[in-house]
Amino acid sequence: MKNCVALSDILIKRGSHTILQIDQLTIHAGEFVGLLGPNGAGKTTFLKLCCGLIKPNRGNVRFQNQCISRIAPGRIAHFRKHIGYIPQQAEYHAHLPFTLREVVAMGRNALKPLFHALDKTDYEIVDSWIDKMGLADRGRQTFRSLSGGQQQKALIARAMVAEPQFLLLDEPGANLDPNWKKQLRETLDRLFNDCRITALLISHELDLIPSACQRLILLDQGRIVQDGPKAQVINSDFARQLFGRTITTPEKP
Amino acid sequence: MDAYFFPIIVTGAFAGIGIGLLGVFIVGMRMPFIGSCISHTAMVGAVYATLFNINPTLGALVLSMLGSAGVAFIPNNRKNLDANTGQAILLAFMMGLVFLAVGLEQDSRSEMLSLLWGNVLFAGWGTALTTGSLTVALMVFSLLFNKELKAILFSRSLAEATSMYTHLVYFLFLCFCGLILAVNLKAVGGLLIFSLLVCPAAAAYQICHGHKAVVLTSMLFGLLSTVIGFLMSYYLNLPTGACTVLVSTLIFAFTSFSRFVLNMND
Repeated sequence: MKNCVALSDILIKRGSHTILQIDQLTIHAGEFVGLLGPNGAGKTTFLKLCCGLIKPNRGNVRFQNQCISRIAPGRIAHFRKHIGYIPQQAEYHAHLPFTLREVVAMGRNALKPLFHALDKTDYEIVDSWIDKMGLADRGRQTFRSLSGGQQQKALIARAMVAEPQFLLLDEPGANLDPNWKKQLRETLDRLFNDCRITALLISHELDLIPSACQRLILLDQGRIVQDGPKAQVINSDFARQLFGRTITTPEKP
Repeated sequence: MDAYFFPIIVTGAFAGIGIGLLGVFIVGMRMPFIGSCISHTAMVGAVYATLFNINPTLGALVLSMLGSAGVAFIPNNRKNLDANTGQAILLAFMMGLVFLAVGLEQDSRSEMLSLLWGNVLFAGWGTALTTGSLTVALMVFSLLFNKELKAILFSRSLAEATSMYTHLVYFLFLCFCGLILAVNLKAVGGLLIFSLLVCPAAAAYQICHGHKAVVLTSMLFGLLSTVIGFLMSYYLNLPTGACTVLVSTLIFAFTSFSRFVLNMND
């Protein structure tokens, strides 16, 4: 199976504190991987490392067999346009009166050179993804007036319009109620089954892992403590210790 | 009105439009201290240039460009120091330097004070042309880099994660901030230009729907603030900067009130 992202001998430290230490990890093309861990486990650091937003103190990150952890900032952006990133809410300004269509259209920027405005084809792609996310009737509405769940769907559409080869989701369902979490899981399942995209979803809640995700990684204190098929990982002692309860997977939609 | 005041009004109009446009990004990114830092850095340049008998606009330009470059390299996501806190400390430092210069200067203290509070009476057609050219340049810049600026406005870290031009566009934008704030310093005043940067854009964000509407409305509110403020200053013999800022604050209050009364929803 072709590699999408491969990490080797990674060490990230802040002062004397180790944030992340990974010997070997490979995410294969077409895999949907869930990364679980308690708060402060190093999940977001892991995700930012995968898309080249931070450099490790030691080790290499390879994206499609190209090392992205040791190249100049100008060149790394060339790889980033192949990566769709859905951030935590704290990382974007949801209070601005951008329309939903404007927010989704921003995703196409990565494919456009400087001084090239989005054209009709771009907006057709934008509208088709808004439609696929079930938000067709809300395109003219402002992003800030949407519910948390609708905003998450809009951000997924924003990432997907850039036709990414690797999708990174950073705690996408945080602060959503159970109904919206279920809807989000269904959306991600549909997305994966339709597009067969490589995806990495990080969360501290098992409830958010969609059924399309067949591989789980458990991270604790910056180290991988479990990595394997979902059923095996969630029944491990590590998982029980980390989450402090008996774990059940969400029902299939 | 005397023909002498036409270039003053034109200067004010261009200054209002330019600062109104800058404000959209400063307010949108929730970093009003950026504007304040740069304007106060420009003020430090101007007062120390005056102290050493150099053209104050030149001093303001040099320092504000340096300040802009410095602000551009403040990381977006430092964990141990919030960006706003860092900029507030820089602002306090700049204020200290300004008032130190005012304290040291004995001969041309009134000229220095006019840099703090603003004085539009100096403006001739040359000033109008400079201000106008910069405002038009900023408008062209914001059109050329519209998609990048929108992405930075929505999320700088997300824009950095997915595009290769984010740093460049952000840096150029801050340079424009430095240029426009330095050039408009004498008219509006270093202490008050910050309010003009915030109020028109904040008012536009209250009532607009979509980015284009926000940009156009903020520019219009900026223009109204300066033109009405300058006219008030002229007819009532009041400080220009104070009048301009009071008008911009009233516009903000009016839009907030309208939003509340009309129960405006997105």
